[in-house]
Amino acid sequence: MNDIKIKTVNLSKWYSKIIGLNSFQLDISSGITGLVGPNGSGKSTFFKLAIGALKPKTGQIIVLGQNPWMNQKLMSDIGFCPDYDSLSDETTGKEFLELVGGLHGLKGINLKNRIDETSEIVGMKEDLYRKIGGYSKGMRQRIKIAGSILHNPKLLLLDEPLSGADPNVRKSLINLIKSLKNDLGHDIVVSSHVLYEIERMTSKIALIYKGRAIASGEISDIRNLIDEHPHNIIIEGTKLEELAKKLLEKKYTISVGYQENRKKIKVQVSKPDEFFDNITEIITDLNCEVTQMYSLDDNLEAVFNYLVER
Amino acid sequence: MLDITDNLTKFFALIKYSTRKILFKKRIIIAFLILLTVISVLGYAGSQQTDKLTTGSDLLGLLIVWFFMPAICMIYGCSVIRDEIEDKSITHVITAPINRILAYSSYYVSLIICLSLINLIIFSLGFISFFGQKGIDSEAISIYTTFLGLVILGVFIYSALFLLTSVIFKRPIYFGLFFVFIWEGFIGTIPGNIQKISFNFYLRSIGSKQLEYITINGATNVITSLAIIFGSILILIILGSIFFKTKEFS
Repeated sequence: MNDIKIKTVNLSKWYSKIIGLNSFQLDISSGITGLVGPNGSGKSTFFKLAIGALKPKTGQIIVLGQNPWMNQKLMSDIGFCPDYDSLSDETTGKEFLELVGGLHGLKGINLKNRIDETSEIVGMKEDLYRKIGGYSKGMRQRIKIAGSILHNPKLLLLDEPLSGADPNVRKSLINLIKSLKNDLGHDIVVSSHVLYEIERMTSKIALIYKGRAIASGEISDIRNLIDEHPHNIIIEGTKLEELAKKLLEKKYTISVGYQENRKKIKVQVSKPDEFFDNITEIITDLNCEVTQMYSLDDNLEAVFNYLVER
Repeated sequence: MLDITDNLTKFFALIKYSTRKILFKKRIIIAFLILLTVISVLGYAGSQQTDKLTTGSDLLGLLIVWFFMPAICMIYGCSVIRDEIEDKSITHVITAPINRILAYSSYYVSLIICLSLINLIIFSLGFISFFGQKGIDSEAISIYTTFLGLVILGVFIYSALFLLTSVIFKRPIYFGLFFVFIWEGFIGTIPGNIQKISFNFYLRSIGSKQLEYITINGATNVITSLAIIFGSILILIILGSIFFKTKEFS
């Protein structure tokens, strides 16, 4: 129970007629947790509620055991990197970090040392004296992350830290985020609408859609949820017509369709475990020659699609 | 003790950053244009055959104290916090462990530091442009100190008002334009009791007790005027702090 970093209970937030979060239920424990959902799903609203920038309409959010609304002291333990550009072009990276450090009560040699350390961690030491207006997208993301870790917070909230960055920068930011956990011990909540990227940072995810947390846990746990929902399998080989007929007799088969000039069939099943248990026997009985069989649902993207469409 | 030191560090960090931001933003060009206008007008007037003290005090009052000073306060006051809300750089303030009332006070202090400095430069150079040609004697110095006092007092009250509007309104400049040009500029000069609901009236009242060249009907005494002005500043800062503390930043 003590491991819970963020807990929400029936948390709702809406802006006039637009729903940000709707009876949102989620427990986030230590480590790196990925929040995954399409744009507009409520990820940023969740972060804004977690940092006390927004007040819940109903329900409750507890961060590190405290209510964040009008609780500025809690911010000592939280580092936040927003998804939007929050930097002033006219200031230098150093001035920005001095402001953030000063606002966290750092001064003098301590502030200078922390600026040196964090700029080193994010690889921005050489560019600290340049105006932020001249920074690339990747550099802006890095300096924002530096600002969020400057005061050595217990919990880091990174909202879409990879958005807009080119592939090389994405890769290095992913490594940076992993090292923030592995080397510096920060607990991190990181959001993205790209599942592939989250998968590279953590195996622990929460899927958000239309203001609700539709699933959360280890990717393997979420994969089990797939089994409760239709599963698509592609089979390539000979005697596909007979195979299709046989499969349609099974209760777990929802539909069978041809693909690519009848060279393949796409089978949609409700219980993949039963399908995989039986398919070898069916193929043997029919004397089919199956050259390829694969599930369309083997990646995280498919998990997400299943869950958001139900 | 640690808490006080800690809060002072945060307070001054924000003042330092905000002051630098106000002074080095492109908006400072407006202050330069106003300075050029003031120097040109007062410089030209100083070269004409006019009564030094009457014309000098009339021009300094009309041009700077009753017009440009509130206008500059409006331009800067309406934008300090609002600009940060719009460009979202306020995020780094609201996600810091600084009490929002303290943060709001930092913005106010930054604003009055910058506006006092800008208005001091404009007023002093305007004064020199006119009286430098006519001769600076003790009476001219008396005009300078009285009007400068009113300018600084004006900066305190107008900054408090416009900073509050920048937290409340999405487009505070519309309120600002109305307030400076219609409320203070027009209603504040209408004879009768209605003028008493403008800050302009109380600044004039204080000035009229110090200088014979500032005239106003039904002026209140200095203590009352100062009490109303400082009372208003306090109320405006408290209101602004409450709005800022409870504001949602989406």
